[in-house]
Amino acid sequence: MTGFLQQAITGLMIGSLYALVAASIVLVYKATHVVSLAHGQLVAFGALFFWLFLGGLGLPFWMGLIPAFFLTALIGLLIERLTLRPLIGQPLIAAFLMTFAIFIALEGVFVLYLKGQTRALPTFLPEGNLDISGLSIPINQLISFFVAILLFAAVSLIFKYTKLGLGMRATAEDHRLAQSTGITVRNIFSYIWILSAVVAAIAGIATANVMDIYYMLPYIGINGLIVAICGGLDSLLGALVVGLLLGVVENVGAAYLDPIVGGGVKDVVGYVVLLLVLLIKPYGLFGLVRIERI
Amino acid sequence: MLTLNNIEVIYSDVILVLKGVSLSVEEGNIVALLGANGAGKSTALKAMSGLLKTELGEVTDGSIEFEGTKIDRKSPEEIVKMGIVQVMEGRPLFEQLTVEENIKVGAYSRNDTDTIKRDMEDVYQYFPILARMRHRVSGYLSGGERQMLVMGRGLMARPKLMLLDEPSLGLSPALVKEIFRIIELINKEQNTSILVVEQNAFVALSISDHAYVMENGRIVLDGPSSKLKENEDIKEFYLGLSQVGKRKSYKDVKHYKRRKRWLS
Repeated sequence: MTGFLQQAITGLMIGSLYALVAASIVLVYKATHVVSLAHGQLVAFGALFFWLFLGGLGLPFWMGLIPAFFLTALIGLLIERLTLRPLIGQPLIAAFLMTFAIFIALEGVFVLYLKGQTRALPTFLPEGNLDISGLSIPINQLISFFVAILLFAAVSLIFKYTKLGLGMRATAEDHRLAQSTGITVRNIFSYIWILSAVVAAIAGIATANVMDIYYMLPYIGINGLIVAICGGLDSLLGALVVGLLLGVVENVGAAYLDPIVGGGVKDVVGYVVLLLVLLIKPYGLFGLVRIERI
Repeated sequence: MLTLNNIEVIYSDVILVLKGVSLSVEEGNIVALLGANGAGKSTALKAMSGLLKTELGEVTDGSIEFEGTKIDRKSPEEIVKMGIVQVMEGRPLFEQLTVEENIKVGAYSRNDTDTIKRDMEDVYQYFPILARMRHRVSGYLSGGERQMLVMGRGLMARPKLMLLDEPSLGLSPALVKEIFRIIELINKEQNTSILVVEQNAFVALSISDHAYVMENGRIVLDGPSSKLKENEDIKEFYLGLSQVGKRKSYKDVKHYKRRKRWLS
């Protein structure tokens, strides 16, 4: 039983990373209805920028964090301005494919920079383990877990209670109607990309905290996408719940099934979950219920 | 206050919808724009509010002036800031938002937090039913409630001019009466000028100061509403009245058709 709990807790920690990546995708979808594939790269670049300032230049934690956020947000803003804004009014599939193109282009830059090497972040969070009745939890992962939870709360509160959040929710529903009430929809798009890029950067830094930065890092975006879709694409709560769930299922599944099938369960579980969820609930677990009046 | 000067509107570069429309709204007035389906009434409204651009429409000739400034190249949100709010046809709401949030969105272009609160109370005064439902998700409202909500949302922008597109559409006669009573009240109390597009010519003429009649993308008739009400053509084609007490025959019907001589 302790073994199971240990696996589940480790899974929760990993799951919080998936949840963050998913949240950045959900944010963009919520306001613009564009499903972004490019976010895996934003995550990777967030981590890379952070490494540049911390590991490369040897700056202290905060001095590395702020410029890393800034640069990632800048990439997000540029993606929106240069590639997606001209596609406003075009079919959404065009924007979707555009984000895929961006993923590939940025991946080129990422791989070119790393040249097949790995980069490890210097430790910037307290080390050690927290031991509770036989379970051991790394403190740095615990911190990033709570940061993730707090971030979810903060973003949800912004959406629910601020004027900007109201504008974003209104824009998400109907761009034309939003314009007619005086909302500058283009600005909302920019803000949402900036916000989402910062969330992605946080996800990247938290991920680089537990694993090295190497060429596969952007592909955490795929896990994020799985989580976002399972959660319903427009639900932050869905992203959180499904993200944590996926982490747990992956970890527990790997622990118990790997010895039987000979490994690799972790990479498959996500897709199996996605398949099952979409079979049973095509709109995702927490997807918006469309209001239809008859 | 608002002047349309011989404007021409083309959709998608090919479809000519407005063929030289001129009209003006004076400050503090209620102006009615009447006409059958497809006459170009809604297009004229969208040209004024700037929403035309979102539908690939374009003002290709003529000019639209609001308080001395040309607005036909401005974006919808700029026009809202200048004081023109369009309440769109079909009462579109932000359905996932609550009633109160919908009303708040209406004030998005403003930054004066204190007065926004007060204006919100005003809106609830005009539409008490909305106050009772303020935390309800707006997607579940009925047609009449929706109409009140979209008008309330429009009011929150503190417009100098409100463009109402078919407020009576699909409402019961009692509700139509109520809605138009409130429109008149808003006009008096808030000193908001109102341009209302209507199919229901009778109510529109009874509250408006001036009226225009559109057909096939042109203004075919205009004048003070009290006068238009007495106009024989208006009576026959828009108010559905005929000489009372006389027997109708198909001969007369044909006669009416001939009488509508403003058609090109």
